[in-house]
Amino acid sequence: MSGLDCRVQYPLAQYELSVDLSVKPGVTVLLGPNGAGKTSLLRLLAGLTKPRAGRIKLGDRLLFDTHEKIDLPPEQRRIGMVFQDLALFPHLNVRQNTAFALSLRRLAKTEINQQVEAMFDKLGISQLAERKVTTLSGGERQKVALARTLITDPHLLLLDEPTAALDPSARGAIRRWLHQILGELQIPTLLVTHDAEEVAWFRKRVAVIEKGQIVQRGSYHQLLREPQSDFVARFAGINLINGELREQGNEKIFLSSGGSQLQGIFDGVLPGPATLAVAPWEVALFAVPPGGSPQNVIPGRVIERIVLGDRVRVTLLAAEKLVAEISLNAWQQMGEFGEGTELYAVFKTREARVMNT
Amino acid sequence: MNRPRLFTLVLALAGLLLALLILLPIIALLLASSPGALLQLILRSEVQQALWISLLTSLLALPPIFLLGLPAAYGLSRLNGKLRWTLETLLELPMVMPPVVAGLALLLAFGRRGLLGGLLADIGLHIPFTLLAVVIAILFVVTPYFVRRCTLLFDGVDRKLEDAALLLGASPFQTFMRISLPLVRRGLAAEAIMTLAQGIGLFGTIILFAGNLPGRTQTLSLAIYAAFESDPQQAFGLGALLLLISLLLLTAVKWVAPQESTQ
Repeated sequence: MSGLDCRVQYPLAQYELSVDLSVKPGVTVLLGPNGAGKTSLLRLLAGLTKPRAGRIKLGDRLLFDTHEKIDLPPEQRRIGMVFQDLALFPHLNVRQNTAFALSLRRLAKTEINQQVEAMFDKLGISQLAERKVTTLSGGERQKVALARTLITDPHLLLLDEPTAALDPSARGAIRRWLHQILGELQIPTLLVTHDAEEVAWFRKRVAVIEKGQIVQRGSYHQLLREPQSDFVARFAGINLINGELREQGNEKIFLSSGGSQLQGIFDGVLPGPATLAVAPWEVALFAVPPGGSPQNVIPGRVIERIVLGDRVRVTLLAAEKLVAEISLNAWQQMGEFGEGTELYAVFKTREARVMNT
Repeated sequence: MNRPRLFTLVLALAGLLLALLILLPIIALLLASSPGALLQLILRSEVQQALWISLLTSLLALPPIFLLGLPAAYGLSRLNGKLRWTLETLLELPMVMPPVVAGLALLLAFGRRGLLGGLLADIGLHIPFTLLAVVIAILFVVTPYFVRRCTLLFDGVDRKLEDAALLLGASPFQTFMRISLPLVRRGLAAEAIMTLAQGIGLFGTIILFAGNLPGRTQTLSLAIYAAFESDPQQAFGLGALLLLISLLLLTAVKWVAPQESTQ
């Protein structure tokens, strides 16, 4: 399946949206702060708003072209979009929502049912079939919205902040689920987000949008290493530990270049060179090594302390360099250790994302 | 501390007076007749005729009101800015027009010497002082109210649901039929009843445009007016009857209407 090529211009209130973007099969993340024009771009691609000028091509079909005066209506574009608030039809149950697109076509009832059941199986939501959509949890609604869209066999998938509306406890699970489902599909997908953690899951292709312009493209790694805008730089504090993934029997383990053995999320990661990423705010500090639940512990000496409002960023150096960001309160209660103090940086296995490099 | 309390008192007093203003005449009307007298009234053939004409014309007006009004209301709710403002003002024109004037205007449009009179006469259609005239009078007066209320209903439909339907492959018409319309169905049912009630209560426009011909154009409202001249006691009874019908319809509206939350 071939991807999307677009060049669109559209005046927004504050600035002009002017985007030149191609989306290949697989997930491309569109990262940008609120108000950067992310949702506007999705609406332009979907045909819900008309660009002032430009050209949108999906595979070999021309969807929009100002010169050739082509402007396909949304229902003919074969673009699937999952809205930020999901827009499930409240008067239909889960099955009816999912079957909506098929029920518009002249299909036999059994054919529709088969396809709907297959989609339910694929996304693991068969148990929700007869539920009213108003009774679903945030994560369940997300899954139903995706099912409803995927059943149309879209040539391009647009996801608008898929986890923004979820409560933090559900967010991680849905991200993991999305990552897995989208990885299997290989539909050209544009996933819009303002959340760096989401990017960590879909890190191969990232485009950064600011004030209506794409300011940087590349992998998450490239972005973090060479941030070309303040917005990206804000995320550049993410800890990246180089090393390799090793298989020991059935167990996988991440062995850092500095010799630490670490656990992380290894789904889909192949043995070999890899990088482990963990956000500073997921790293806790202890004066004595804590026991208990499975987590990663890295000892190190304090080399830098920076107070940022009510937070403090503490950099530890030993085998690895690791930045922890904790509340100033907690830091003061620990005793405001000076430089050179030996501390233990601790982070949970599920907060450590591992990627092949 | 005293001032807000005084103000609360004023509000309560105003409310109380208003409630009295509404309830007193209603109670007086109901007291003026008895269930026995009402039953006797209903059994009289000319009363049955008037009741029948009232219901029939209001029911006959309902399909054209929906057919014209629903698309108009939906279209209006999807508009913004100056065009919407202009069309809404056009819609408010019949609302501010006194009913009697509306009747005159209809006569001048559809009457024998009216704008369309010659044209209608050529095809052998004579509208004034017929049952059709009653229906047209109801259409003219009630449709704008219907359209305005339905526009508000459609305004309440989340546009994103319609966008989602379009992106799932639905044409705009399919989107209207399968998403927008079902979402306002309870509101529409309430509007239908409201429209019936308004039609049944119509008086001034009908009496000028359709006349007050017993058995042909005399609705219950007109029958009350006719009876009041000759037999006031009967007029009170008919009034109570019409009031009970209205109360019945109001109850029905409250029963089907979505309570506060549309979603």
